[in-house]
Amino acid sequence: MERIKHYIDVSLYHVKLAVLTMLEYPANFVGWLLSNPIQFILGFATIKFVVARFGTINGWDYGHLAFLYGIAVISHAFSMIFFVQGWFMGEYVVGGDFDRYMLRPLSVLFQFFFTQFNIVGFTDLIPGVCVFAYGCHKVHFHWSIGNVMAVLLLITGATLIRGGIYIIMGTFSFWTKSRNDFAGFTQEFFDKTTMYPLSMYPRMMQIILTYIIPIGWISYYPAKDLLSGTGMGAVISLVIGVVTMTLAALFFKVGLRSYESAGQ
Amino acid sequence: MSNKSAYSFIYKMRIQKALAYRFDVFANIIFQCIAMFATAFFWKAIYSGYDSVQGAGVYDMLTYTVISAVMSILFVTTVEFKLMESVKKGTVAMDMLKPVPLFSIYFFEDLGNITSLFFINGLPILLIGSLFIGMPLPADGVSAALFFVSLLMSFFINWFFAALFSLLSFVTINMSPLIQVKKHILRLLSGSIIPVWFFPEWAQGILGALPFVYIYQLPLDLYIGRYTLQTAMPKLTIQLVWLVILSGSFYAAEKSMTKKVMVQGG
Repeated sequence: MERIKHYIDVSLYHVKLAVLTMLEYPANFVGWLLSNPIQFILGFATIKFVVARFGTINGWDYGHLAFLYGIAVISHAFSMIFFVQGWFMGEYVVGGDFDRYMLRPLSVLFQFFFTQFNIVGFTDLIPGVCVFAYGCHKVHFHWSIGNVMAVLLLITGATLIRGGIYIIMGTFSFWTKSRNDFAGFTQEFFDKTTMYPLSMYPRMMQIILTYIIPIGWISYYPAKDLLSGTGMGAVISLVIGVVTMTLAALFFKVGLRSYESAGQ
Repeated sequence: MSNKSAYSFIYKMRIQKALAYRFDVFANIIFQCIAMFATAFFWKAIYSGYDSVQGAGVYDMLTYTVISAVMSILFVTTVEFKLMESVKKGTVAMDMLKPVPLFSIYFFEDLGNITSLFFINGLPILLIGSLFIGMPLPADGVSAALFFVSLLMSFFINWFFAALFSLLSFVTINMSPLIQVKKHILRLLSGSIIPVWFFPEWAQGILGALPFVYIYQLPLDLYIGRYTLQTAMPKLTIQLVWLVILSGSFYAAEKSMTKKVMVQGG
């Protein structure tokens, strides 16, 4: 209990530090405040234009797609706030930055993710919430207590799934010793698979993204369930999120054994 | 050592550097192919039940996707990051003292980088795309010729735009968010993923007046044969005008900016 309290104290202190750092460079934050919303609003506008030409995408009309897109962007935002480091793990491995974490009396994984909060991630929430609200309005989403709960579970699950996958991908750099981050491709792939209905992809890809890499559970399955009035998908998302994150943590532990504190 | 041999040295260095990391090479190919396949599936799915939308069929869109993926490699620029880092660390003053002009170094570094990327990423992607998505053949000989002319101008428009943009490093200290804005705007408004002719008329009108569509959209349109020789000429002229405007503004801005370099740190 003491231990858990200590961990929480440490991370809360780092939240404070992150906010202070952000306030120190207001122009930087304003830059992101413009850049991230522009990216997703433009992205959504292109979907809107395409749907206007074609009618629907695999039976999903414009309102349904906004609902899906909103969930994808909101979970993206939270995963950026907590787990963006996973994208840049190669940089830490090559630079020998894990030395510092290993010398401290706290879990390395905990320190890596919860002693550096990426406040900038909140700027992704703005377009996410806007598009989601718009989608909810279009599909006449009913804000019952059950549905609110389902949405909260779903966002938590989706964030954990994304975070878990980022950690697993990043952990490979313990062996590859590559500082290449592939952030652009990772994001593009997640965007393509979470912002559009998964059913439009070939059968094989759907199976992989459902059972092997659980990207389908970030937004597609839970959104589909919610739109047909059941929160079952959201519950499954949460379970898969917890499992993915646990596996990722174990994998990280294995990877850390191969860490050589290489330096440059 | 004359400038010419300095440039060829910088160019070769970049090629060797890019080849040094085998893992990165393979991972890059895999990731880029995944992104390309996702886009191809998107078009296949959305075109089910349609033969042709806005004058383009699904085959055109698959060609568009493969060629766009290969083209994106030619448009990789590092000049923004290089200058930003150099200004941040204060080494820009030293770099400017070197006997070779700063931006020429950046240009040849980018050119070297692109050359190696083309062979180690571009060709494999083209091959994989041809085998699994569809042979991306140009509409006809004239289309292919016009495509290469346009592509050459696109390359320079893209580079001068990046170089002009990089000069903002002298004004703001942290460029990272701005580089992201530039990247996203370019990606979404240049037609690199979704051609702008799927956009509403008003949006097409606005984008036609901006330089972005002359980077990806025009060469790609020429490749899939949306223009004849006669209808292509006005478009290519606008492209040339943008090239002149961007390169001209770059030279002018570079002159005035480098005069007021303020060295931080160092």
